Amino acid sequence: MSDVTLASPPAPTAIPAPEPIREHDSNSLISMRGIWKTYQMGSEEVHALHGVSFDIPKGEYIAIIGPSGSGKSTLMNLIGCLDTPSQGEYWLNAKNVSEMDDDELARIRNQEVGFVFQTFNLLARATALHNVELPLIYGGIGSSKRHEMAKQALASVDLTDRITHRPNELSGGQRQRVAIARALVNHPSILLADEPTGALDSHTSMEIMDLFERLHGEGNTIIVVTHEHDIAARAHRVISIRDGLIEKDEKIR
Amino acid sequence: MTPDETNRTSYARGPRAGNSSGLDSSGFTALKAKRRFSLLRLTALWEAFLVAIGSLRTNKLRTALTLMGIVVGVSAVISVVTIIKGLDQTVAQTFSSQGSTVFTISKQPRVITSREDFIKFSKRKDVTRDDAEVIFRMCSSCYQTGIAASRPEIVKHLDQKSDNVFIRGIAPTTMFDIDAVTIDAGRIWNDNEGESAREICVVGADISENLFQGAAPDRIIGQQIHVAGRPFLIIGVLQPLGKIFGFSRDNLVYIPYSTYQKIFGGRSSLVVFVKTRSAAELEETQDQVRTIMRNRRIRSVSDSDDGFALETQDVFLDLYSKATSNIYLVTIGVAAISLVVGGIVVMNIMLVSVTERTKEIGIRKAVGARQKDILTQFLIEALTVTALGGAIGVLTGFGLAYVLALLMGFPLLISAASAVLGVGVSSIVGVVSGLWPAWRASRLDPIEALRTE
Repeated sequence: MSDVTLASPPAPTAIPAPEPIREHDSNSLISMRGIWKTYQMGSEEVHALHGVSFDIPKGEYIAIIGPSGSGKSTLMNLIGCLDTPSQGEYWLNAKNVSEMDDDELARIRNQEVGFVFQTFNLLARATALHNVELPLIYGGIGSSKRHEMAKQALASVDLTDRITHRPNELSGGQRQRVAIARALVNHPSILLADEPTGALDSHTSMEIMDLFERLHGEGNTIIVVTHEHDIAARAHRVISIRDGLIEKDEKIR
Repeated sequence: MTPDETNRTSYARGPRAGNSSGLDSSGFTALKAKRRFSLLRLTALWEAFLVAIGSLRTNKLRTALTLMGIVVGVSAVISVVTIIKGLDQTVAQTFSSQGSTVFTISKQPRVITSREDFIKFSKRKDVTRDDAEVIFRMCSSCYQTGIAASRPEIVKHLDQKSDNVFIRGIAPTTMFDIDAVTIDAGRIWNDNEGESAREICVVGADISENLFQGAAPDRIIGQQIHVAGRPFLIIGVLQPLGKIFGFSRDNLVYIPYSTYQKIFGGRSSLVVFVKTRSAAELEETQDQVRTIMRNRRIRSVSDSDDGFALETQDVFLDLYSKATSNIYLVTIGVAAISLVVGGIVVMNIMLVSVTERTKEIGIRKAVGARQKDILTQFLIEALTVTALGGAIGVLTGFGLAYVLALLMGFPLLISAASAVLGVGVSSIVGVVSGLWPAWRASRLDPIEALRTE
């Protein structure tokens, strides 16, 4: 881990100095302040993120785009609370996530974050209904309430007639919609999608992107991490990442 | 696909969407937290149990192998313990058939453990009929008294012959009560017949079996047998006592002591039997008899050797438990090793299971499972398998013990305690051997775990 302070990061000459750090914005859903992520590779320190700062207000539809190795996966893991920053502050829904321990992070993932993965990541042996119920189980919700909530979530992605099917009995698009239902079922603060169309054909991809658009229209905050420009173009704001720094942050709609 | 507007509305970000006030959001969280505390434990445990059952059912062969490991271990321990208990009870019942109210006075103890003792005891004076007479007369707390002498002899009937029949000369007939034998057919001799040294006898059930082709007891009354070449008239048959360790306790012939003395001589030492009214009086009566006998042997108070042996039936039980307790421990220990092997099998399979399900663990962690939840899930899985294996093992063990008890001829003692112990111990084995794999699973990094295929 880097032992430098926020005021003087050990910026190699090739890397531009990070933007000045402001106080976190308490009105934002997400507020990232001077986020560094450093990995120890043998004797060498590798900086995946070089002091990244940005804000995401509630209800925004945002794409994070960048080539592989840009640090966007690291950023996604941090936003999703699967990991904590080496340095800097991450405020999610007015809570300082960067100082939380494993159990607190698990709780934040359970209550505040809905994940959608490229490879769906459904439990292979469980039915669609059970897959969607999974976050509610760890949220400690009783079974009858759980069934009802999961059924409702599956209905919202038009899968009412597939609730007893297992993932191997579903098409790719249907699997991804089960995953989206699972992400939504606990009413999270953010819907975080990592290459959500990466394993789908173009027609199904468009269906999923239409679904995201609709969910955004219903008030959900959506963050899509991708390297595909036409997917990013569906969002309302695009943050471009390169070499661990924000290269561009623009509203496109 | 027809969009269902009514269902969808529930996913519109109703009050939270436009409202950015922190108050609303934290109130919502507090409510959720409350619900979490009350339900999470039970819900997660039940979920963990269901996941365990599902995973065990999906991998049937793996489950069967794990179960087998535990079943073998538990059934080995259970059957060994059950058999030992049956054996112990048989021995205890046999040796204490005269009850805890009987003790004996004899020249030598029945169990001699060293050559020096044997020589010392051989030099003692014989216990004689005179000794017995004095005890009969002087012991006020004695309830019943009698004398007996025994030896093995050949017994014949016509051309039928039986070796090593236990010939027991007794007087008076209260010795039948002291020996706790009862008449099945015929009668016992009266005092007159006893004192006049008549050649009459009361026989054990094996005599009719071996010498009269298994004739009914009442059919051999009045028949003649030859004991040591002399003819004896059978006047009574005893109820069978059964076997111990394959040795019959019914291969005996009771004759009056005076007759015994007439045939085999009165030189050999005899045994005096004393029965008290109740077990509570045993010690007091023993002291009285010991004092009487020490006076007759002219022993001073300070002399440590009595010059005779005063024993209860417990000496056999003591010897038996001394001789067998170590053997039992070793046997149970060997059986327990198979339980340890079973535990290792469970641990091995759990480790494979964790590796195979790394992805699943990653998914569960991503949607909010804490380390504790994952740990619990894998522990419950190990526990379910081993408890089930334990239950099956207990049943198999009892079955095995039943068959062995039937073959070896002793009672089957099925105790709830050993069943509970079997399931309990195997569950402990499950927790112990599941702990390390479960801990490894719980510590997996969710990012790494999600990346595996």
